[in-house]
Formats: sequence, structure tokens, C-alpha cells
Amino acid sequence: MSTKLDRLTEAYYEKVKRTRTWSGIQLKPIYTPQDLAGVDFERDIADAGQYPFTRGIHPDMYRGKLWTRRQGWGYGLGEDTNKQLKQLIEQGNTGLSIYRDLPSANGIDSDHPMAEGEVGVAGVALCSVQDMEAIMDGIPLDRITTSLLCGSVVAPIMLAQYIALADKTGVPRNKLRGQVSSDPLMGYFCYGKESNPLDLCVKAAVDVIEFCNKEMPQWNATYISACYNLREAAALTASQEIALGFGHAMAYIRGAMARGLGIDDIAPRANFYCNVGIDFFEEIAKFRAMRRMWARLMKEKFGAKDPRSWRFRLATQTSGASLTKQQPLNNIVRAAFQTMASVIGGAQSVYCTPYEETVCLPTDLGQEIALRTQEIIAYETGVAAVADPLGGSYYLETLTNRIEEEASELLDRIEEMGGIVEAIRTGWVESLLDNQLTQYQKEVESGQRTVVGLNTFVRPPREGDFPGGILRIPAHVEEEQIARVKRLKETRDSPKVREAITNLRCTAEKGAGVNLMPAIIDAVKVYATIEEIQGTIREAFGYTWDPMDMRKSPF
Amino acid sequence: MGENVVRSERQQIRVLLTKIGLDGHTRGIKAVAAMLRNAGMEVVYLGHFQSPKGILKSALQEDVDIIGVSCLAGEHLTLVPKLMRLAKENNVEGIPIVVGGVIPDEDVENLEAMGVHGVFTPGATSHQIISFIKDAVREKRG
Repeated sequence: MSTKLDRLTEAYYEKVKRTRTWSGIQLKPIYTPQDLAGVDFERDIADAGQYPFTRGIHPDMYRGKLWTRRQGWGYGLGEDTNKQLKQLIEQGNTGLSIYRDLPSANGIDSDHPMAEGEVGVAGVALCSVQDMEAIMDGIPLDRITTSLLCGSVVAPIMLAQYIALADKTGVPRNKLRGQVSSDPLMGYFCYGKESNPLDLCVKAAVDVIEFCNKEMPQWNATYISACYNLREAAALTASQEIALGFGHAMAYIRGAMARGLGIDDIAPRANFYCNVGIDFFEEIAKFRAMRRMWARLMKEKFGAKDPRSWRFRLATQTSGASLTKQQPLNNIVRAAFQTMASVIGGAQSVYCTPYEETVCLPTDLGQEIALRTQEIIAYETGVAAVADPLGGSYYLETLTNRIEEEASELLDRIEEMGGIVEAIRTGWVESLLDNQLTQYQKEVESGQRTVVGLNTFVRPPREGDFPGGILRIPAHVEEEQIARVKRLKETRDSPKVREAITNLRCTAEKGAGVNLMPAIIDAVKVYATIEEIQGTIREAFGYTWDPMDMRKSPF
Repeated sequence: MGENVVRSERQQIRVLLTKIGLDGHTRGIKAVAAMLRNAGMEVVYLGHFQSPKGILKSALQEDVDIIGVSCLAGEHLTLVPKLMRLAKENNVEGIPIVVGGVIPDEDVENLEAMGVHGVFTPGATSHQIISFIKDAVREKRG
């Protein structure tokens, strides 16, 4: 008992150990007006809805419209995912977000040999428009907003599947609202270099931007998901997340401008999908810094005249990598703080990561708690009633400035290298990711960073740690999906498919500057599959049919 | 590629690290690769898009002492069992296979019953992984 009491006394007198932010910024014990000496309110902070939008992109923020609760889901067969999406809507989700499986993300069909064990597992298969039809059955496309979580080079194909469904159900394209995360450069790191060659990455994103500019003015054609995903992959700092994400955006913007679009055609429909880490104040400061940086970048560097171009539209997901497998219910607490930071940080949409993220896809209970977390924040805590509640705080404004400085410096360095694609090609980005990750790992293992339940306050796993259970993909899913794909290939109008694929190939062969969206949509409508479409595009640009070079074109 | 040294005479431990299937999350396996290299081991990192057959083939070609497989998206339930089966069928059981990644605790027993030598999930320390590998290789070399 005496050692326990010694420990208690020690703990009672314990002091704050870590005096740096999560990203490593050294903090002072307190901040004062002196720290804001050089700050000009009108120039640097302004009001919400006023350039440079530090305090939020709308004057009335959540009094005008609450953020979208956008929990994501998707696994099993199309009809399973359809049920999950409807269940989420009933529970309070106000926007859809759909995970797709790894074969689809990599542009191979459910019946490809490398798809074995992966079909409908990390998400739902989007092998053909037949799958999209099943997923969205009974959900009116003109009454909801949808995020198709893609992040790889097949974004145009997934978008085409959505458009084909809209056309079929009589919903005008200009009424479609949502986004496909068409940030294929992120796929280079997160899904694979082989499936996401750099030139095809940029082309895919630019094709989507150019096409949507004409046909789908309400669709968010530039959706940068690198912020969330690269940070997850490498424990990036706040400023690294910003610099890489903005770097990606600039590559796509420049690509679209090279096709003749103006900055004001592009920027109003750009959105960012960002990470929310566990350092509460740093994340809020990060979002404020991002808004100000984006506004200045668009106005001063790109010469955007439309105020809608200057507004940084923010979607967030609470960080999965910050969660622990150990004592998983603690993740509810983490995700709650991170959701709160998103809201205080002025996000337009939030995905509160369910607590079991560290071991499986979301369960019913995990999603319910996540939605309730969002709802408690929205309706009970009162934080949504006032825009930018921390604006003017000596600490927050200093931290916002500091993050903007660091991120700008890094972005300048990327620009000096010739932009993000060059920085990736030379291996600079990969080194950055590797070094940052190694550093973080060292700090956790050495105890320099405390992670509750992981390196402190540990206990063995217990029965009941996962009250929602572990989500398992039913065994029949892969077999059934493969059977459907095979049946589809046998029963569809083969001459029409051949014609559409030939047309796609001819169009692709005309060069990188020719938009493939119309040809892809035509192919999708006659039930060409994702592998057939992506394979045709790949071959036209000198790549193997599939990224693993295991199959050949059947055409 | 491989040295002209019989495996049992070679001092340095040679480890094959790989993803399996399509998953591209390499954060964990890269951390393990760095950790093992710092401990003086030789690491052959296959990367991703590796099939069970491909992994075993590489393991033999590279003449490794031990194979480490990283799973995140459920491959431990589908592809790892296939890997273990192929290893048995092709008499490659001499090379211990360890698995790591996103694996619920309740699946660890099943994996071990299949012949997986050890399972490491987030929270495993470098010390644990390194000593486990050293012991496994020492045991195997006899």
C-alpha cells in the first residue's frame, strides 16, 4: 500500500511534461497582447465571412447552417451498403460518404486474381455501375450530398458511375452535389505507385475539374484528401499536412488552367478533406491558418477575383491513427475532442471516426456513438452558437500565425522544386514521409510522447473492450460479387461495350489534354467494368493493362 | 542477391517484410523495417501487391530466415491462411512466419493454430519484436 500511496503523492504533484504542440512547436507558459504586436485585425483576422476568412468562411457560420454530419460507411455487397447508408441517415447523418474496396481503388475488377480476399472488405466494390445502382437504391440523388471516397486515379470512373445513375434516374447533372475525392497523387503513396502513375494522376483530377466546370457546377470537383491521408500515413505535422495538401491542389489547378479554365472556374469548387489530430488548440489554429493561407494564395498568387474562390472549404475526419487498439472505448473521448476542435475550427463537414477504427470497419454501435458525439456538440455544448469563439485569444492567434509561417515556408520549398509532382518524382516527399514517421515512432516508444493505454496507464485486454463487437465481412460476399461480375460480363451487350471501349481508347490516344469523362461515362453506361476502363486508359498511355501486369485486355 | 553462404552459417539475420494483398498502408511495416535494420538485421522489403505465392517464392529466392507479413484490411482472415497452407504444401514450413497489423485480439489464437509463429499488433515495442525474431531464428537454426 505504501508504494501505491507514494505513487499517488507523486501523481498529485505531477507537472505538465510536454511543452510543445503535437507538431513540435515550442509553447510559452502564457501568451499576452505583446505576442500579437504585429497583427493587424483587418488584414490578418477580420470577421467571419470576410477576407482572409481566418475566422470562418461564412459571416453567420453555424447560425446559417450547421456543419454536415458525414459519417462514412460501405462494405459487403451493394445492397448491404445501401442499408448502412439508410441506417446512418435515420441516425442523424446529414451527408453520405461511401468507402470503396481495395480492388476498385486500384482499378481492378472483383474477379481479378489479386482481388482475392479483398472484395467488399475495406469498402464496397464499385466494379460497375450495377454496384452503384445497388448502393444508391431508393436514395434520391438530387436531395442529398455524397462523398465518394476514392483518393486514387480511378476517381473519374467512380464519378462516371454516379453520373450514369443520375442520368438513368432522371436527375439533372447540374443538380448533383457532393464530391469524389479526386486527389490521385495521394493514391501514389496510399494505394500504390503502380496503380497511380503520376501523369495519370494529374490527368484524372484535371479531367474531373474540366468536365464538372461545364456539366456539374454544384459538384466539388477538386477535393484534396491528401491532408487527411498523408498525415495518417506518416504522422505529419500540421504544417506538413497543409503544405502537401496545398501542393496537390496547386498541381491540379495549374493542370486545369493549362486547359483554358480560369482560376475562378476552379477554386469556388475546391474542398479539402483534413485531419483532426489530438492536440486541441493546434488543430483549431491549423484550420484558421489554412483558411488565411488559401485566401491569400488564391487572391494574390493566382489572381482570383471571385470571393468564392478565396474561401477555404473544410471537411474533416478525426484522426484514426491517433486512436488506440488498447482500451478502445477511450477512442470515443479522443474523437469527441477532435470533433469539438473541428467545430470550433469552423469545419463545413465532420466525420467522427468510430471507436473501433483500430481493429475493423465501423459497427452499428460505433456509428451511433459517433453521431451522438456530433449531436451533443451541436445541441448541448453551445460551441456552435458563436463564430470563431477562440478568435482574439493571444495563444490561438499566435499559434495560427506560427503554423501559417511554417506551412508557407514548406510550400515555398515545394514550389522552388517545381511543384509537388516534381517533389514526388525526386523522392523528396517520400523522404519527408519516412523521416517524419520514424521520428514519431521513436518518440512514442521512448515515452517522449504519452499515449494513454499504449505506453502509459496500460492494462491487458479485457472481455467487453469492444461492446459493439468486431465487424466481420460475411464469407459469401466475395463469391457472390465475383459471380455477379461474371454474369454481368456474359449478359451485357458486348458489341456496345466493345464500341465504347474502342471509343475510349481512341480518345485517350489523342493525348493527355483530351478529356476522357464523356467516353468513360458512355462506357460505364453499357456496363464496362472499372478494370476494363482503367486498363484501356493505362494502355493508351503506355502502361500495363493492370498495375500488377497479371491480366491482358480482353478487347 | 543471395550470398553463397549456407543459411545456418550466416551470422546476420535476414528478414523478409511484406504487405499481402492490395492494402497500401505501409506505416507499420516501414517502422518495423527501420527497427530491424537498426538492430543489425538485413531486411528485404517486398512492398505491396504481393500474393501468398509471390511471398513464398521471394522468401526462398532471397534465402531469408523469417517472414514478416503486415495486414490491415482483413487479409489475416483470407490471405494469411492461404499463405500458411501454401507454405505447408510446399514444405516451406522451415521459415517462420510472423504477422502484424490491424488484427483483433480474438483472431490471434486462430492465426497461431494455423502455424503463424507470432502476431504483433500496434503497441508492440521494438524490443519485443527484435527479441522474438532473434529467438525464432536461433531456434530454427538449431
